[in-house]
Amino acid sequence: MAIPLSWYLIVAAALFCIGFYGVLARRNAVAILMGVELMLNAVNINFLAFWRYVRPEEPLGQVFAIFVLAVAAAEAAVGLALIISIYRTRKTINIDNIDLLRG
Amino acid sequence: MTLILFAFLALIALAGGLGVVLSRNPVHSALSLLLNFASIAVIYFLLHAQFLGVVQVIVYAGAIVVLFLFVVMLIGGNIGPYRHGSRTVTSVIAVGLAAAFLALVVWSVVQVLPMSATPVGAPDAGSVQAVGMALYTDYLVPFELASLLLLVGMLGGVVLARRYQPFAEDETQ
Amino acid sequence: MNASEIIRWLSPELILLITGFVVLGADLVMRRRDEGRTAAVIALIGLVLALIMALLLAMNNPATIVASTFAVDPYSSFFKVLAIIAVSLVVLSSMDFMKGKSRYLGEYYALLVFVTLAVSIAVSATNLLLVYLGIEFLSITSYILTGFLRNDRRSEEAAIKYFLYGASAGAVMLYGISLVYGATGSTDLVAVGELMKAATGPEHLLGVAAIVLLLGGFGFKASLVPFHQWAPDTYDGAPTPVTAFLATASKAAGFAVAGRVFITAFPQFTPDWMAILGSLAILTMTVGNLTALKQHSVKRMLAYSSIAQAGYIVLGLAAYNPTGGTFTGLNGMLIYLFAYLFTNIGAFFVVLAVERYAGSSEFSTFKGLGKRAPGLALLMTVFMLSLAGIPPTGGFLGKFYVFAAVVEKHFLVLAAIAAVNAIVAAFYYMNVIRLMFFQDSEDETPLQVSSGLNLSLVVSAVMVLAIGILAQPFIAWAVESVQMVNTRGF
Repeated sequence: MAIPLSWYLIVAAALFCIGFYGVLARRNAVAILMGVELMLNAVNINFLAFWRYVRPEEPLGQVFAIFVLAVAAAEAAVGLALIISIYRTRKTINIDNIDLLRG
Repeated sequence: MTLILFAFLALIALAGGLGVVLSRNPVHSALSLLLNFASIAVIYFLLHAQFLGVVQVIVYAGAIVVLFLFVVMLIGGNIGPYRHGSRTVTSVIAVGLAAAFLALVVWSVVQVLPMSATPVGAPDAGSVQAVGMALYTDYLVPFELASLLLLVGMLGGVVLARRYQPFAEDETQ
Repeated sequence: MNASEIIRWLSPELILLITGFVVLGADLVMRRRDEGRTAAVIALIGLVLALIMALLLAMNNPATIVASTFAVDPYSSFFKVLAIIAVSLVVLSSMDFMKGKSRYLGEYYALLVFVTLAVSIAVSATNLLLVYLGIEFLSITSYILTGFLRNDRRSEEAAIKYFLYGASAGAVMLYGISLVYGATGSTDLVAVGELMKAATGPEHLLGVAAIVLLLGGFGFKASLVPFHQWAPDTYDGAPTPVTAFLATASKAAGFAVAGRVFITAFPQFTPDWMAILGSLAILTMTVGNLTALKQHSVKRMLAYSSIAQAGYIVLGLAAYNPTGGTFTGLNGMLIYLFAYLFTNIGAFFVVLAVERYAGSSEFSTFKGLGKRAPGLALLMTVFMLSLAGIPPTGGFLGKFYVFAAVVEKHFLVLAAIAAVNAIVAAFYYMNVIRLMFFQDSEDETPLQVSSGLNLSLVVSAVMVLAIGILAQPFIAWAVESVQMVNTRGF
């Protein structure tokens, strides 16, 4: 028996919200970045589910998911590099303590 | 059968996601992330997107999670009080916003999109061939751009993460 | 379409791509012996070549889609020209500023060239896939440039804040794109526009939800108010030439993409997105101006003022008139962005000159500038007048066109709030002029300005005045440039 489209979408939406919660509530830069990765994965479930159920003859959804993966990889590389460099100078990656700039 | 499998995978994926955002230990977060990515890869197989499922395992589980673990280890498994400062006010706002968003999406999905839609035809559209054809014809510009993006990401990694030395040191040799 | 034609249509982008790699290679050969001068010169040559090609292409009034996803039309050409000019000025001013501040100057100039390429791709994209990639490419390159000063803790702080906001905003925008894809099965802007035409009831609400989510990404780039928290800290902490880029070309890219996506893909949602953008405009102007009033440093004041300016710019889209006429809103936005480019780059470069000398840009460092560096103070006066929107500067022309569009649409409340905001803003711009000419400082030593910076300052000031005084050719160009391709990519 086939799984209805809405199941996939609801799982994706829930996952997106978990990631979104992580981004908003966590103060640790690595944890925030992990939240963003969850959000991107949720979107990828959306893309593949829509591809399969709405327009399977054209692999656009899959192509999109591949590009999201590439972007996520580049983003993680740059973000983690930034986090390492911050940690070296400040010994913390808690964004509440990174506060030289305030106004 | 597939229904049970799907429910099982979905539960694992959501549990993994919750583990990422709620865990007290960054290493546990990263491992929950791995669990989440792996179960999502199997969901891709359920959707007949075999290529994406494999790529998900290789890139996300294989590369990105390892990168996360690497960084967590590098700056010490114990990066200060990991959950410090998760103030109640922000938490409440965050839960509220996330829940509102979830409600909105679920509602719109149920209202609008073809609820009971079942997958149609083209069983081999998830193959490497089909995806590759699209990548190298219609989506050539984005494809090339993605390669440049990865190059820039690499440049950024080198420029930002290398230990800082005052600039004039190695130029005299 | 054969290969040579494709190469011709894509020539500005190809030149930028090649230039970027040549800069990296040249830096490798020079082994950082000349503090990046070779790299900067090569980057400038490439940018000028790309500018010439973009102008040549723009003159033919093209309307083509290359490789299914990439539009060559007056609209994209306008923003390409804008971005290339901005980055050229940034490169000119960096030659002195970055000297001795980083070991990776070759990479710095290469990234500046790549970021130009990113803007020109983002503004040309006719497919949400390329829109997403272009914006993310622009963002990721900007994060690196923002954090480039490794010996400056403020720079890396600016970068991490920019990065965390940007990554989340990108994910939210992506969710919006996935909803659009789910509702239509396509991501081509024109196809989406056709398929969403019949949307009513719940489907209409889904479209509105997608617009709001997309706006998360575009608004982040354009620093509109609920998505602006990164902007003050990032503008303040980034290397000043990079700040000038972020506040002009990068912001313009956000508006350009928002304009193309909303107008092409959501034509039947026009009242909805106009209402959303109108309320964002009010918030952005008010929050930006009120916070700018409280600042103690000129750089931070300019950071908040550039948030407020984003509020005026978005008025153009909020009062968009698809039926045409003299003030379509969109043409006002283009004129505003073009004048704002030179004004803001100039203002940030004056800050840069003062900063280089005094070490900071506190208000006190501007005291008595009229005596110590009369030329610099005069140029700053021109830029402040333009930001305040006082004739005969380019800023006035931009404000006039945008406000006229709002009034013509009979959005009188919006117009009134914008006018009050403009008056409040004039107060803190005038304050800078007062400090420079009517306050004395103990320090009377004259200020030295490097030749590269001098050149870019003079170019900016001349352009600000030219736009305001000659007006007609620039208006004509902006009116021409509102045309976008409206055929399907494939």
